[in-house]
Amino acid sequence: MSKQQSTNTRPAATSQEAVLRATDLTKQYSELTVLDSIDLTVHAGSVTALIGPNGTGKTTLLRLLLGHLEPTAGNVEYAGPAVERPIGYLPQQPAFRPHFTVEETISFYASLLETPTDTKELLTQVDLYDVRNRPVEALSGGMTRLLGIAQSVVGNPPAVIFDEPASGLDPTMGTKAFEITAQLAERGTAVIVSSHDLALVERYADTVILLHDKQIAAQGPPQQLCQTHSVADLWEVYDAVTATETPQTNTEVTQ
Amino acid sequence: MSTIVSTFFALFKRELKTAMRTRVYYLITVGVIGLLLALTAGGGGAATGYVPTVVDLLLPLEVLVPVLAIAIGYRSVVSDLERGELAVLKTYDVPSSVYVFAIYAGRAVVLSVILGSGLLATLLLVSFSSGPDTSIFATHTGLDSPLLFARFIVLTLVFALALLAIVLLMSVAAQSTLTAIALAVGAVVLVVVGGDAAIILGLTDGWIADADLLNALAIAPNSAYRGAVFETVIAVTAASESGYGSPITSVAGLFAWTIFSLISATLILHRRTV
Repeated sequence: MSKQQSTNTRPAATSQEAVLRATDLTKQYSELTVLDSIDLTVHAGSVTALIGPNGTGKTTLLRLLLGHLEPTAGNVEYAGPAVERPIGYLPQQPAFRPHFTVEETISFYASLLETPTDTKELLTQVDLYDVRNRPVEALSGGMTRLLGIAQSVVGNPPAVIFDEPASGLDPTMGTKAFEITAQLAERGTAVIVSSHDLALVERYADTVILLHDKQIAAQGPPQQLCQTHSVADLWEVYDAVTATETPQTNTEVTQ
Repeated sequence: MSTIVSTFFALFKRELKTAMRTRVYYLITVGVIGLLLALTAGGGGAATGYVPTVVDLLLPLEVLVPVLAIAIGYRSVVSDLERGELAVLKTYDVPSSVYVFAIYAGRAVVLSVILGSGLLATLLLVSFSSGPDTSIFATHTGLDSPLLFARFIVLTLVFALALLAIVLLMSVAAQSTLTAIALAVGAVVLVVVGGDAAIILGLTDGWIADADLLNALAIAPNSAYRGAVFETVIAVTAASESGYGSPITSVAGLFAWTIFSLISATLILHRRTV
């Protein structure tokens, strides 16, 4: 996890329309509670970042938001516009069927929707147009991640969920992945991203949700979280909150 | 075109393209053609006619077909599961049933092409080595003919597609490629060997009555295939011998295995991806 000072230079979220709403969300596996009474709302035109130590249920929460897991209690409501593909998804380790080129891969996903997709524009956005004829198995890890991002926005879903888009990438590629999340938010997409790179989160996220001990331990814009905890950066917020054994307070900062 | 139909064809086409770009399938095809031609030439059936060739090939095919079904099908779903692709496809609202049937259809074409090529090559070899006996103009028994061999090809493909569906079911249930191959081998051995063994045990222990034998044979894929081939291909040329199996029940049995496996695969996949 990087510890460096960074400043959020993104314009403030442009819309307050709720796209995804989770209420009293709880997930248990047998006796083990992974998430307990989570309430969160994701808005159009904003980047919401999920952070927290390993094993705090970030991926579980993302899968619940996607509808790929059934909650033990509570519910997830999609409140966005009625479209063919409401939520796009970038898995933590995106992988694609071998023997197909970059362009064929995106065209395949586009063919699953009636909404037309401009594959050239999409691949240009993620800087993959020049390698469109390259087989996916010949892509670097960073390029594969960018292809995953391109796949996640096929059909212009109102919400996209990125599970650790910068994980394992060099700083340039990691920044590129987060720049794309910011561009998507500027176009009105609700972006939910989980990450361990707090510098990138601080720079690009509109709202940060810090998961700790099964619950939301802190929530709000990065700068306000820093002010509330009287610390210099998000890393110190993270350090202060996760150092406690059990969160006694759920710090929420209203935007 | 409705979304479900277009989704089915998108997945089906991708499956075929994957197969066409997989070199090992070409090697398997060449191997199958070579093996069947060698068995045909070596068994001596080719010089005698189509039905003797069927007799020569029946037992080897009861082994070769399960092996091919495993080779073509064991990774069919588990690879997509391992890549996390099914979680992605779910965001495109691809129903589990459409996915399973499209993958199956694609793999079924691949298996049919590989097996069909070998059997058609055999048909050609027999036709060049020995034709039907044209000195007989009419008889109360059937004549050896390429049509009987065509019937054999169709029955072999129906048998192969039933086993492919069972292997695909194992691929859906598996947690990894390694467990997929173990499950596929286990299931096929259970069905192929266990089916015949259960029938023999049922007869000796008396819980299958002699009168029910033909129906019981239709339950296990191998005995259903064997019974149907004997009844509709081999027995046709014999003067009075029949009663090896009930062709309709046998084919229905093979279709039942196919449909049961695909529906089970759909339900398991739905459960795994919700």
